[in-house]
Amino acid sequence: MKRRVTALLLASAMTVSLAACGGGAGNETTASTTAAATTAAATTAAATTAAAETTTAAAETTAAAEETTAAAETQAPAADFEVTENDPNATYTYNVATTGLASNWNPHDYEDDNSSDQMAYLVDSLYTMAFNDELHPMEDASRTPYDGYVWLPSMASGMPVDVTAEVAAEHPDWIPEGATSGYAWAFPLRENLYFDTGYHITADTFVEGAKRILDYKLQNYRSTDVYANTYGIVGAEDWFYQGQTQYVDNATLGLTVDDLTKGDDGQYVTADGYPVYVGVDYALEQTGGDTLKDYVDAYGDAYFGMGRWEELVALADENGLAPLTDDTLAMITDVTTTNPAWNETDGTSVPLYFLIAEAKPDGLVWEDTVGIYAKDDYTLVEVYKASCADFTLFYNAIQDTLLLVEPDVYDKCITQQADGTYASTYMTSVETSPSYGPYSLAEYQTEKLMHFTRNDKWYGYTDDTTYVYKDPTDGNVYRMYETTDIVMQVVSEAPTRLSMFLSGELMTYGLQAADVAQYRNSDYCYVTPGASIFFTLLTGNEEGLNAREAAGDFDTATQDVQTLLCPSFRKAMAVSFDRQAYCDEVSPSLTPGYGIFGSTIIYDPATAGYYRDTDQAKQALCDFYSVDVSQYASLDAAVDSITGYDPETAKELLADAFQEALDAGYITDADGDGISDQTICMLYALSAESDTATKRVNWLDNALKTVAVGTPFEGKIQIQNTAPLGSGSEFADAIKSGSADMCLAGWTGSAMDPYNLLQAYTWDSYSYAAEWYHPQQDMLTLTLDGEEITMSVYDWAECVTGNDVTVDGKTYNFGTNNAEQDIRVQILAGVEGRLLQTYTYIPFVNDGSLSLLSQQVYYVIEDYNPVMGRGGISYMRYNYTDAEWADYCAEQIAAHGQLQY
Amino acid sequence: MVKYTIQRIIYMFFVFMTITLMCFVLIRMLPLPALAPNDPHTAILELRREALGYNKPYLVQFWIFIKNIVTKWDWGVSEKLYIGRDVWQVFLEKLPATMIVNLYSIIWTIPVGIALGILAALKKNTWVDYTISTLTMVVISVPSFVYAFLVQYIFCFKLRWFPFLMKGGTDYFSLEMFRSIVPPVLSLSFGVIAGFCRTTRAELTEVLTSEFMLLARTKGLTKAQATVRHALRNCFVVVVPGIFGEFIGIIGGSLIIERIFSIPGVGGLTLNAINGLDYNVFMLSTCFYTAIGLVASLVVDISYGFIDPRIRMGSKK
Repeated sequence: MKRRVTALLLASAMTVSLAACGGGAGNETTASTTAAATTAAATTAAATTAAAETTTAAAETTAAAEETTAAAETQAPAADFEVTENDPNATYTYNVATTGLASNWNPHDYEDDNSSDQMAYLVDSLYTMAFNDELHPMEDASRTPYDGYVWLPSMASGMPVDVTAEVAAEHPDWIPEGATSGYAWAFPLRENLYFDTGYHITADTFVEGAKRILDYKLQNYRSTDVYANTYGIVGAEDWFYQGQTQYVDNATLGLTVDDLTKGDDGQYVTADGYPVYVGVDYALEQTGGDTLKDYVDAYGDAYFGMGRWEELVALADENGLAPLTDDTLAMITDVTTTNPAWNETDGTSVPLYFLIAEAKPDGLVWEDTVGIYAKDDYTLVEVYKASCADFTLFYNAIQDTLLLVEPDVYDKCITQQADGTYASTYMTSVETSPSYGPYSLAEYQTEKLMHFTRNDKWYGYTDDTTYVYKDPTDGNVYRMYETTDIVMQVVSEAPTRLSMFLSGELMTYGLQAADVAQYRNSDYCYVTPGASIFFTLLTGNEEGLNAREAAGDFDTATQDVQTLLCPSFRKAMAVSFDRQAYCDEVSPSLTPGYGIFGSTIIYDPATAGYYRDTDQAKQALCDFYSVDVSQYASLDAAVDSITGYDPETAKELLADAFQEALDAGYITDADGDGISDQTICMLYALSAESDTATKRVNWLDNALKTVAVGTPFEGKIQIQNTAPLGSGSEFADAIKSGSADMCLAGWTGSAMDPYNLLQAYTWDSYSYAAEWYHPQQDMLTLTLDGEEITMSVYDWAECVTGNDVTVDGKTYNFGTNNAEQDIRVQILAGVEGRLLQTYTYIPFVNDGSLSLLSQQVYYVIEDYNPVMGRGGISYMRYNYTDAEWADYCAEQIAAHGQLQY
Repeated sequence: MVKYTIQRIIYMFFVFMTITLMCFVLIRMLPLPALAPNDPHTAILELRREALGYNKPYLVQFWIFIKNIVTKWDWGVSEKLYIGRDVWQVFLEKLPATMIVNLYSIIWTIPVGIALGILAALKKNTWVDYTISTLTMVVISVPSFVYAFLVQYIFCFKLRWFPFLMKGGTDYFSLEMFRSIVPPVLSLSFGVIAGFCRTTRAELTEVLTSEFMLLARTKGLTKAQATVRHALRNCFVVVVPGIFGEFIGIIGGSLIIERIFSIPGVGGLTLNAINGLDYNVFMLSTCFYTAIGLVASLVVDISYGFIDPRIRMGSKK
């Protein structure tokens, strides 16, 4: 179960995703993540604060939950003030260009980022995040305004109240035995909550929404966020699957054959009595989401024992499952263990092909089953599967955005299709989009535009507690959401967007590579750092490299790729690139990156502390880059000295690599001139062709050639692109298999939980290096609180994400609720350092973007905050009304031909 | 003629069904995106795929698809691009924008193109002909999206005569909408004008030097009478099918032009449907274009007989 929880946690809270290089506008961009989308949608103000786009649930059970009620954070402004009202007659239109619009922003069913971004204008949440200012100070008195954030009641009228003991008395099966706090929370609601249709929102509305999202026949995409999340609603999964049979992948349960018993019919069952099957033609985690049959059909006896395969296939039912009996156990064992090429000869992996058929009971009563109910009209009670408090509690609470729908409109939008399935048109048009957020949808044309106007039924426009802030520029107190209209238009081409921006028709413009030189020093140019680090990913797949050299078209007399396996060669590559020069010359919006984790990764959501600012993280970098801290005035100075570029050391390492390659027989030096006879021909795994991609490879190629001058590899190193491999995971597959040698890649998501992100490096199902780096076997010793502990890198990652790991009879768990942040950060830094030393991931650049902001508006805070961004639309202030702006633009254009930036 | 037409319609039906079946099977043979094993949404996506019949044999799926169309005109709902929405309605929503832009384009490009072609032919080997022919070659050689950016830069950004993008909304015949449509119409027009100009000039030049034209003049017709009554009619045997071809283009749209001017049309629909594996959207657009193409080719073939009575369809002699 431990692994199952972690798996769910990973997927829902972290959801890392592959980052393909060279896509989009040409920068190294990461693929979007579903978790980020979830969060963005779930947070209202969210729409409006960058926080939501990057927030991920801090993932562990929180010890702080033991404190019964949440700390009474700022509930009302701390000081007397007078609100400077916005001009009620003026219009302020936020014109924004996008490359794609949502087509479905149904909170129950949306899937992509566009949907969540646009849905967010129409929804609200129980709590919201706001900058800490004089009206809403943080508890930590040392914090200065706008350097952090606070949670404030939004739809809620106050802070949540822990009612675990009360609920446990009424529903003992909902709360773990003995638990008295952290599981059940009561949320007081404002009484003036309305949809723009006039529908009055009460606690019952949330419950009605929950019933609908958990309706099995509707198969809502977001239903899993309610029932499968670590902090999901108690009983939601049982309700959803009632009367259904749910097949659970044993990879998440970790059962062995010894854990099973044989039934009367010969089929194995679990201790709970659930029958067990072999996944013959059923997608399995063990086969990376494909089926075993896919693999066997593709590779046959090259990898599998085929002796009993057909027998096994014949026993599979229409779902691709064969009952697990002694016979089928022997068959699956024969298939997967007899051929050494499949690398499972020890048989321990056989249970990973099992599925457990969990039959859910039918005829459930909602009130007795699902842990969400209305205590009264304005008190909503939710019971979670895990104890939570503080950040995780608020995060859970904002997930209620997924539940809330206008029941009357929702029900009218559902139709049954000819094939028996159900489809919903809720939130797909103006008519079917009831809003309870700050804006209403006024106009929508597919793939063309969305126009939002103020929702006058939203309480926030007259609220003096949450939706006000003190402007640090002029010291006045303003209401949030000065913007009256939001017009989003699809503008696919960057030149068009730039022309429109320079004509005053757009509020922002994301700079393209070609624009950077002209605008990067503009007063209106803003740098937005990203959470991701792009590293130079080097293959280490020896088999793959050997296979390439063995191919008929590979001339081993003049070419070589195996040298890439030499440690010195990989180390040389790590210090061969002047990252700052790369950023300047190829991707000006990026900044040099030196670690596995980016500069905006937050290790503690409660304090919004950056991991890279911790001493442990700094020391890890100094260790990796061999910086002697004692030679500097401080650790900061030592870290600041790191450039990652040391051509002299690189030359020495290349000389060492030459000898290593000669000794290994990878290369020759027939004439004894001390120069390799072979050229190291590295292939860069290209996802898609673009000017930037070409520049990138040329730059890398040139950098290595330059460093190699005067070494045995002078003129003998070459980097070339592969053919475009596509925007999916193909580029990563090429590196994993050794059919390509390198590329720039990274992981995104988990911006507030780097601990979970470790699993991208330690779980084989994610790791780029699974074929050649085995974290289970890589032992790492750390000294924590004076205790020296040795365990594998894999185990360190597991226990720091809240799983129990037993070493020498002692069980460790360094999850959120079990260890101090300092300890956890130390583990994180230790594992980061070890991962760097694999020289598979050579940190290269930190993600980022540059954009211009219209002169019509200004940000209340210039510095970027990874949680709050720059405040988004809720904090945006206007220098000109629409009418004034039109006049200003006309004047400027008449004088200069365009606006001056 | 009637028999020929009926024959062609029957053939057309079989071709249509064949193409539809091929497209149906081929698109469904594309591998569905792999579902992440650790993503809890995987469970719901698997349930959906099962419910939508993705695991049934292709021919069974095809039969259900055809049956629903024939019996209920039910093309299904969008599964990816416009989740839950009736794809027929989505398609109908997007068709007018494409049609209106292309229609405006054709309305003036065909007469202008033909007129320039006639002028060049009548002024053959003069500076007028050289100028028109040279410009024609230049214009034909440059793709329309280049014009699109030029038009947008010059007329929208520098001169500010027109808006950058097509206006939103469905008031296709309003003045404001017309003004916003001018840039894409201009961008689409250059190539079409050049194409018709070149075809008309080439055909008319040949016809004008034919012996029957000499005969017509010797019978006393003026040059204008001979040109209009005899030469033009002959050269239109080639030009008119080109006009029908352009009308097919009206509905097909232009992906690039639609992207640049943010026209919410059907240009990218098929492409997006393939990329998004939205089967129902893909099948509807494929069937639609297949039908349009087949009908258009039939109309073109039949039109020959009307334009030139000497051409008889289906004659055994």
